[in-house]
Amino acid sequence: MIKYLTTIWETVSTMLTGMGVTWRHMLAIRRDNVTLQYPEERWPRPERDIGFDHNKYNVIRSRLHVDIDDCIGCLKCERACPVDCIKIDTVKVPNRGEDIPNIRHKGITSFGTRKAMVVTRFDIDMTECCYCNLCVYPCPEECIYMTGGPNAEKHDIDYEFSEYDRNDLIYRFAKKVSGEDLENATTKPQGVEG
Amino acid sequence: MGVVQGDQMVLNIGPQHPSTHGVLRLKVATDGEIVSDIVPVIGYLHRCFEKHCENSTYEQVIPFTDRCDYIASMNNNFGYVVAMEDLMEIKVPERVEYIRVIMAELNRIASHLLALGVYGLDVGAFTPFLYMFRDRERILDIFELTCGARLLYNYMWVGGVSHDLPVGFVETVYNFLDYFEPKVQEYNDILTYNKIFIERTADVGVLLPEVAISFGVSGPNLRGSGVKWDIRKEEPYSIYERFDFDVPIGQGLVGTTGDCWDRFHVRMLEMIESTKIIRQALKDIPTNGDVHQALPKKIRPPKGSIYRRTESPRGDLGYYIISDGSPQPYRLKMRSPAFTALSVLNEISRGWMLSDVIAVLGSLDIVLGEIDR
Repeated sequence: MIKYLTTIWETVSTMLTGMGVTWRHMLAIRRDNVTLQYPEERWPRPERDIGFDHNKYNVIRSRLHVDIDDCIGCLKCERACPVDCIKIDTVKVPNRGEDIPNIRHKGITSFGTRKAMVVTRFDIDMTECCYCNLCVYPCPEECIYMTGGPNAEKHDIDYEFSEYDRNDLIYRFAKKVSGEDLENATTKPQGVEG
Repeated sequence: MGVVQGDQMVLNIGPQHPSTHGVLRLKVATDGEIVSDIVPVIGYLHRCFEKHCENSTYEQVIPFTDRCDYIASMNNNFGYVVAMEDLMEIKVPERVEYIRVIMAELNRIASHLLALGVYGLDVGAFTPFLYMFRDRERILDIFELTCGARLLYNYMWVGGVSHDLPVGFVETVYNFLDYFEPKVQEYNDILTYNKIFIERTADVGVLLPEVAISFGVSGPNLRGSGVKWDIRKEEPYSIYERFDFDVPIGQGLVGTTGDCWDRFHVRMLEMIESTKIIRQALKDIPTNGDVHQALPKKIRPPKGSIYRRTESPRGDLGYYIISDGSPQPYRLKMRSPAFTALSVLNEISRGWMLSDVIAVLGSLDIVLGEIDR
């Protein structure tokens, strides 16, 4: 009997202690620490200064982006990818480092490297990407990066990229050229045609 | 007249059931409401982790380890890089060691918060779950600030870490600790010492120390049974021998030693110990140093094999790596603590009611990603 009553007493008293905690929460709540109204409001992504060259180095890993004019087709990112979601095809250029205007190929990267390859295909399947960032580090030209990464100035952080069709999530970065144009540009030596 | 023997009914719990913590199916043989046998059916989340590793380079294994125990990815990374560094005989800079310990302990708190909150949910207490997730969110924000990811970090690399700490990191973590430490008292008020919760969990699913040891149970589940065993103390890896912390064990404060409540309480106490470790690490961390200094150009360990174990939030996490001198592991075996914790479920919940099985399962804190790998 005594045990029964003490159990009831303990139940009531500990329940009141717990309810005291919830009451304190309810009274202490402010307007700004309740649910975020997501599509209208967005959570601020952390911006940080880590003391590198980049003033605003933002580490958030959102979608992958490639500056294709800077890509030299070295395939290092393709090899680094643990899930093989990057596919690259290249064709050799006749004269290293020269622009080929009719396929909009730039010969020299912004780092000053003379390109030996035309990148004909650079596909990233974002449905497969595991956001591990491993492809970003080996790139010698720093042309593949996750937006919101070191190049936060160039791209906003963008984490909303759903599509209606799965194929739209395969990002094709290489410039669209017809096979004929490419063949003309890469097999014939420049300046001899016509 | 002989003894009346009722028919056994086989009941499936899961694989899509919120209290099975993932995709686990329990084949429960019941006699009335009393459970007579449990067969866990696993493999719904099997992703060929070990076979995948044999076909990827050593760097590429790290994102896969993230995805095993996805609640405590930092600790999974930690175990792997510790094994790899011992195999390759790399000495990592002081600052990296401190960063790793801080991250691993923060992740341990985050993991325990999830385990405790969800356990409250399993036995019918909803509010603590919300409070604990709110505080876990702050830890995830710290991780996002540091490495850009909230759950699957790929942060610790062989020989270093991927990013240096951001400016103002130390203050951020101090702020978090100042905020967090009083909250533990709140959790105790609202859940741990609640009589209804105690009635539901005390004396239920008692895991005797001998049984725990013979099944190979480790981590908080083993310590809840009163065995003082923590890899961080017994076989210190990284720089854990420099920190002063206790190993909390279950003492049967409200019931028998080794019951569900003890396992719950040990996790609660461990969070406080983790905050102690983080405070000491923040005090001693070298202010500058290149975190990429010891990164090897190419990861090609010499021929040989290694087994290293670390203390993940779920227990004794081991990596066995055989190298044949190529850039890919010849064989990689992961010893998962949650797997052994699940194997003891049948032993300790036989004879209890069906609703107690949920309480026992929740108190073991399993993660199916790690069991199935």
